[in-house]
Formats: sequence, structure tokens, C-alpha cells
Amino acid sequence: MINLRRTKSIYTKELVDLLRDHRTLLAMVVVPIVLYPALMLGGIQVLSTQTAKLHDAQFTVGFQSKSDWEDVVRPMLDQEASVLELEREKARADGASEAELAEFQKPVIELIDPNVTGQLEVAVRSRQVHCGVVVASVETHGPNREKQFRIRLLYQPEDLRSQLAADRLDRAFERVAEHEVQRRLRARQVDPVVIEPVIVEQKALTSAGSVLGLIVPLILVLMTITGAIYPAIDVTAGERERGTLESLMVCPVPVIDLICGKFLVVSTIAIMGAALNLGSVTVTVFLGGFEQVLNLNDADGSGGFPFWALPVVLACLVPLAVLMSAVMIAVCSCARTFKEAQNYVLPVILAALFPGGIAALPGTRLEGVNLVMPVGNMVLLTRELLSGAHVPAASYAWVLLSTCLYAAAAVALAANVFGRESVLFAESVSLRAIFNRKLFKRSDRPTLSAAALYAAILFPIWFHVQNLLQLSSDDAVSGALYGTAILLPILFVGAPILAMQFWRVDTQNTLRIRFPAFRFVLGGALIGLTAWIPASELFVFQDAYLGSPPALDAMNKAMDAGLAKLGFWIALVCLAIVPGICEELFFRGFLLSAALKKMRPWPAILMSAAIFGVFHFFIFRFFVTAGLGVVLGMLCWRSRSIWPGVIAHMLHNGLATCTAFNPQWRQRIGIVEVDKWPVHLPTHVILIGSIIFVTGIALSWPAAKSEVDSS
Amino acid sequence: MPMIDVDNLTKIFHDNDGREFRAVDNLSFRVDAGRIYGLLGPNGAGKTTTLRMLSALMTPTSGRITVNGYTVGEHEFEIKKSMGFLTANTGLYQRLSSRDVLRYFGELHGFDRRQAVDRAEVLIGEMGITDFADQRCGTLSTGQKQRTNIARALIADPPVLIMDEPTLGLDVMSNRVILDFILAQREAGKTIILSTHYLDEAENMCDMIGLLHRGGIAAEGTIDELREQAGVERLSSIFLKIIHAHDPMEGVA
Repeated sequence: MINLRRTKSIYTKELVDLLRDHRTLLAMVVVPIVLYPALMLGGIQVLSTQTAKLHDAQFTVGFQSKSDWEDVVRPMLDQEASVLELEREKARADGASEAELAEFQKPVIELIDPNVTGQLEVAVRSRQVHCGVVVASVETHGPNREKQFRIRLLYQPEDLRSQLAADRLDRAFERVAEHEVQRRLRARQVDPVVIEPVIVEQKALTSAGSVLGLIVPLILVLMTITGAIYPAIDVTAGERERGTLESLMVCPVPVIDLICGKFLVVSTIAIMGAALNLGSVTVTVFLGGFEQVLNLNDADGSGGFPFWALPVVLACLVPLAVLMSAVMIAVCSCARTFKEAQNYVLPVILAALFPGGIAALPGTRLEGVNLVMPVGNMVLLTRELLSGAHVPAASYAWVLLSTCLYAAAAVALAANVFGRESVLFAESVSLRAIFNRKLFKRSDRPTLSAAALYAAILFPIWFHVQNLLQLSSDDAVSGALYGTAILLPILFVGAPILAMQFWRVDTQNTLRIRFPAFRFVLGGALIGLTAWIPASELFVFQDAYLGSPPALDAMNKAMDAGLAKLGFWIALVCLAIVPGICEELFFRGFLLSAALKKMRPWPAILMSAAIFGVFHFFIFRFFVTAGLGVVLGMLCWRSRSIWPGVIAHMLHNGLATCTAFNPQWRQRIGIVEVDKWPVHLPTHVILIGSIIFVTGIALSWPAAKSEVDSS
Repeated sequence: MPMIDVDNLTKIFHDNDGREFRAVDNLSFRVDAGRIYGLLGPNGAGKTTTLRMLSALMTPTSGRITVNGYTVGEHEFEIKKSMGFLTANTGLYQRLSSRDVLRYFGELHGFDRRQAVDRAEVLIGEMGITDFADQRCGTLSTGQKQRTNIARALIADPPVLIMDEPTLGLDVMSNRVILDFILAQREAGKTIILSTHYLDEAENMCDMIGLLHRGGIAAEGTIDELREQAGVERLSSIFLKIIHAHDPMEGVA
């Protein structure tokens, strides 16, 4: 166990040491205080000059022929000018502001020599002109021989000015056309109102297109990350460079205490940095009146900056700061000098920038796989919160949970790297030395950090896979079940076994592939047959206090339909047999064995059970799944074999599959309301079931005779 | 029973291609309590690796080390508690004062705040640190740093001191401080292992000398025994002669 008093000493010393360093203070305090005002003021100036520039810009327009200009377009533009003048006067009479009147300004169009005949497209492509106008045809219709012009505008959408020129011309022609329609209707003595059955008015609630609103969350997240860099380097590579590492390591202190103290300090500084950054954003927005720039305010000023969201944003930045601190410490522990550490940190920042950048794109939403995208999910969450959007509780849970999981894996990795002899004394730490198979010692089980790291990598992959599978076929549920049955053996068994072979870990011992005593098989079977009873009651209990998601019923129905499509035997393989074997091998074999190497049995079982629950990606089922995980973990620990758990798991899932195919089973045990769920089971079922369940537990409780886990 | 007992100690390193390199090869020696044992040898003889294994910083590939009754690999923390470790290039925390450093290491050795403060004050007095105890270590002179470092190594009053080139690169005055300290510690009954390149130092101070070559002991004994063995007077000549006998090419070079 970690010695708290000693960890506190390390923490206090490191904090004092870091805070006395002017470089820490510079990075932590000065940068955010200066950065945001500069950014926003600068941003506003650049934006407003850009807008003004574009507004006053003259556009050059090319024509197919001189007559197109002189006979068609110029008269139309002249006509538009007079229409504009009329509308402007009308608006002024209605009391419009100067800003609104500016809307009626005539676009400035500059002409080039319109003798580019035939090469107009080339001229637009080569940006000789912003826009090209082709009068494609002029037709006359009806008894009054009224004209219809077909005008084609050539422009390049990726060139903003070209696009603007085309927009302006398009609007001018629209205006003229509208005016002409009204004139023609009046000539026929028809009220123009008849052709306007619907009038649409748009009201934008936020000022559109503000780039800063998208970028500020990214910067906030990046500043939190960069806040961890300097202290992380200082407490690891810095310690080595100053020659204090050796005297630290000869102290009677476990590495985990050292790394925890250091990691807490780096996290503290990163969190303080995040708070200062957030404070600076707030003050800048509040004092500077930049709410518009942050894309946060209503056009009529009723939205405002969501100050209530600030503590929430800060609370969400905490796990991110923790995650990045752990990652930075792990990375910097490999470096001997400050300079080397800086080189190692750079790729990490780029790696964080990538998902962060994706998240900063306007189209990216906080949903699906983005919920568990490292760093990116935090950028999205921050953006949602700062724009005052409502964020569902489940989204918070996913973002925070996944970030904490990654952070835990990173801390474990850091502890592993920091204490390693090859890293501590090597003249240079090369990746080849870290990955050279010949240098690995044989070990009976993987380290906890390696297992945690694998679980952390697998988590987003599995989440993504599940989402993809549900999208891939029309018939989502059966597709997902097939896909799961194929991928479970690869990702949860094959890949860990390959990794263990590579790291020279005793696979058979880790996965506990050995025959158990008969009483464990019997115990596992009894538990597997009756575990649904406590599970079902737990659901009822949970439903009473927490409620059930409304979509649950639909999901259950979709599940039943999907199962029916698969047919009983395939459903049994996909739902009971494959998961029964693969999940046991991964969660109880790989993960629990690794955890038992470092932790006491019960915390190890609880941890592996919680991860087992999280991997089922359905928060409503978390407690029940994790509860089953505890029982299965206990089975594996006491029996020292994977098989009793496999039997229990397969029977439990198999029974659920059977019931799905035979709904009458529920009636047979006395459940009246077959359609309703969850409901209390009849008392006699609970009673008999509990006796069998407890018997199963009692049978498997005394530990197996061979040597007990040394933990 | 000897204070330090090294038995058939071997440490194998691997380079990046996985090739073996035996830094320490079947090394055995004993040091009795209250003695200074000099570990001498050319560069790359395995001195530093041996000292790191002795202080439980490195795990031996094979062999057994017992210090103060504890075995390396089994009683890591007891070993670390029994030992003070000092090298010439041991750094100090630049932004902490000597007093802060001593208190910090006291706490790392398991003292509570009160004990750590008391022990730090005792050492500040004994080592003559009082005048600069509150100055940040970054501003201290080399000699002042060295005194602080010695105090740090003594923080838990360990029975064994490991000194890896403690005088490397020091001026005469600082050198004297260290050597006087080592002799005073022997008087106080501590066991000391001294690894050094300065043969005069070893000649004057060590009770026993082990000549290390290619990871093993090439010769061992008191200075008189070594003189007899080699038939020459000065330790530097003894040193060259023995190494040459072991490895003719290297001895010449």
C-alpha cells in the first residue's frame, strides 16, 4: 500500500521546489493572463479587418462578350441600384439603424476588358477575375413578349472572394427578378401578395461563423496539457540531470510512493494552470465584452456567457490534467536531460493535438465514439458547456470515465518505467532496449501496468467496434452479435496472448488454464444457473431508485427480434459460448491475474469487475454486470482455474438466451406480467434460487489446495 | 560475522542488440565492521556497478550480498536504511535550502516531521552548516554543497557508508573535508566502502584494499600484504603490476 505520510512529504517538497522556480510561474500564471486577451483582441481585429476588407472589396467580373455586359448585365445592375435606393429609403422611413442600412449598399463591381471571349473559365480558374458571367440564353414568352434571361455564374467555391462575388451578383439578379415579377403581376392587376403564400423569417441565435468559439475550448485543453509539461520534466529528467535521482533512489521508499507524490504535484500544477486559464478566459470575456466573439450570445443579447458552467468545465478539466500529467511523467521518465525530455514530449503533444483538432471542427459532435476519444472528448465537452448547451448525464459519465481509465493506465505505466533499472542507469534509453525481447525476464504473470495499458487501448477500440457493428447492417442487432462473436476471440484473447508471448509471460499460468477440483465445477454451475435471480432483483431495486432509460424497452424488443433472426443455436454460440470463454480469459485470466500481482485479492477483484462492467457500455447495466464480475472473480481466485467461471458465465448467458426464445418459461415460474420489466420474482423462486446460489458460493469458497496466490 | 558479505556476485548487462556484457563477474569479498575497504580498479572494472548493487539500486544477475545481516533482493528497505550513499557528482535540489534538503531526506527515511527537524538540526551543527543552512543550495560553494551532501548521507545514522569517488573533481580544501569526515566516521565505528581513483588516498586511509579488474578481484589485502605480493612499494606501482599480470596488454597501455 502507498504510504500516505511519505507521499505527502514528497508532494510538499516537489511543490515548494516547483513553485520557487520562476519558469513554472511564468508558464502557469503569465502565459494565460496574457494569452487570452491578446488572442481575443488580436482575433477580433483580424476578423473585423477581414470583414471590412471583404465588404469594401471590389470584384472583377469577366464576361463572355461585350454585348452581355452592355445589353444585359449593366442595365440589370442599374435597375438594381434604383431598387436598392427605393428599399433603402423605405427602411430609413421605418427607422432602421445605420448598420442595417449598410445592407442596401450597392456592390462595387469592377469590370475588366470583357474581351476574354471563350476563355472565361480559364480566367476564373486562374483567378484573373473573381467571377465570370455568361448570358446563356434570352427567350421571349407570352402575348406580351416578356423576356427570360438564363444567366450562368462561374466561380470557385474554395476562393472566398470568388464565392462572395458570385453571391453578390446572384443577389443583384434575384432582386431585379423579384422587382420584375411584381411589375408584371401589377400589369396583370394581380396583387403580388398571392405569390407569397409563406414568408420565412430567420433569426440566428448566435452570431454565425465565429472561429474563436471553436478554438477557445481547444486552446483551453491544450493549455491544460502544456501546464503539465514543465513540472513533469522537472521532477523526472530534471532530477536525473541535477544528479539527485540516485540519492533519492537509495532512500528506503518504494517507487510507487515516489511516482505518486510526483504525479500528484504535476497534476496539481496542471489543474492550477487550467483554473488560471479558465479564469483568464472568463475575465477577458466579461471585461472585454467578447461574448459575441465566443459565439455565445444571442443576436438580441439574451443568451450570455454561461458563468454557471465554469466550475463544471473546471471539474471536467481535472481528469484531463491528471491524464496528461501521468502521460508526461511516463514519457519524461525515459529521458536523461531536459532537452531529451522536450524531444520526447513533442510527439505526445502532436498526438493530443490530432484528436483535439478533429474535435475543434465545427461539424464534430459530442456523441458516439467521440465520447471516448482521448483529449478530443474533453475539447467537445468544454465547447458544449461554454456554449451553454445541455449535456446529458450519460455523456459526462462517458467522458469522465474514459479519461479516468486512461489516466490510471498512464500512472501504472509511469510507475513501471520510472523504477526500471534499465531506465534509471542507462547512458541512453533506446526504444530498442525497451522492446528487445531478449532483455525481458521471464515472468509468471503480466504486470498490472501492462494489463491496464492494454485494457485502456482496447476500451476505445471496442467502443468503436460496437458502434460500427450496429451501423453496418440494416439488421443492427444480429449484425452486432455476429461481429462480437468474431472479434471477441481476436481482441480479448488472441491479442493478449500474442503480447504475453512477446513479453515472455507464462500464458498458461496467467490465464489459469488448469483443471479445477470438482466442487468448483459444481459451484460454478450452480452459480451460473441461479445468478439471474439476484441480478433480476438488483434491477428491480435499481429501477426503484434510479429509474430506467426510456429506450430500454425498445432495446430489449430489438434484441429479441435480432435473436429470432439468428436462430437459437447461433444465438447460443454468439451470446453464451464465445463471450463465456473469451470474457473470462480476458477479465479473470489476463486482467485479474495481473492485478493480483500487485493488489490484495478483494480490491483486485473489485477493480477487474468494475472494468468488466464498464466494457459492457451500458450504464444502466453497470452494477449488475460488475456484480456478476465480482462473483466470477471470486470463483477464479478461489479455484485458481478459469473453468468454473467459464461454466458459470456460459450457463448464465445461455439461460438468458433460452428465455428469450421461450418467453413461456417466465410464465412457468410464476411471473404474470410477462411484458413488464423489471418485476419482482415470485417469493418461492427467490427462496429456492438463493439457496442454490449460496450453496454454489459456499462450495467454491474454500481456496484450492495448491499454493494460494501470494498477494 | 562481517558487516558486508559479497558472495559470487555477477551482473550481466545487455546492449541494444542483446549481446551480453559481464560488468561484475563472480565477485566475492568481505568487510568487517568499523573498517574502510578500498575498492580500486581501472575504468570499467565494475566498481560503480558493484556499489549500486550493494545499495540495492540494481538487482544482481546472480550471487548474494548481505549487509548488516540483511540480504539484497529480500530486504531492500532494511538495506537502504542501513546505508548512506555519497558520490562526488551527487546533486542537491537547487531551489531548496540545506535545512529543507535534510528534513526532506529525514522524512523519506521514515522520520516524522518532528524527528526529521531534530535530526536535521543535529547534523547542521555537527557538519558546520549553520551559517548557510537557509541559503538555497544553488547558491552554495562546492565545499558547502559537499558538507550538505555528507549530512544527507548521514541522515538516518546508518552503520554502513558507501562512497563512490567522493573526492572526484574537488579542490584540496573540499577534499580534506571529505577525507577527515571518512576517518571520523571510522572512529565512530562505521563500516565504509571507498571507491576511488586517487591511489594516495587509498594508501593512507584503507584498512583493506580490493583490486578490481574485469568485474572480479585481481588482488586483495592490506596495503602491506599487497606490497609483499607485488614486491614494490608504492600502491600505483602495485596497481600497474597486478593489472599487468592479469592482462599483459592492458597493463602496458
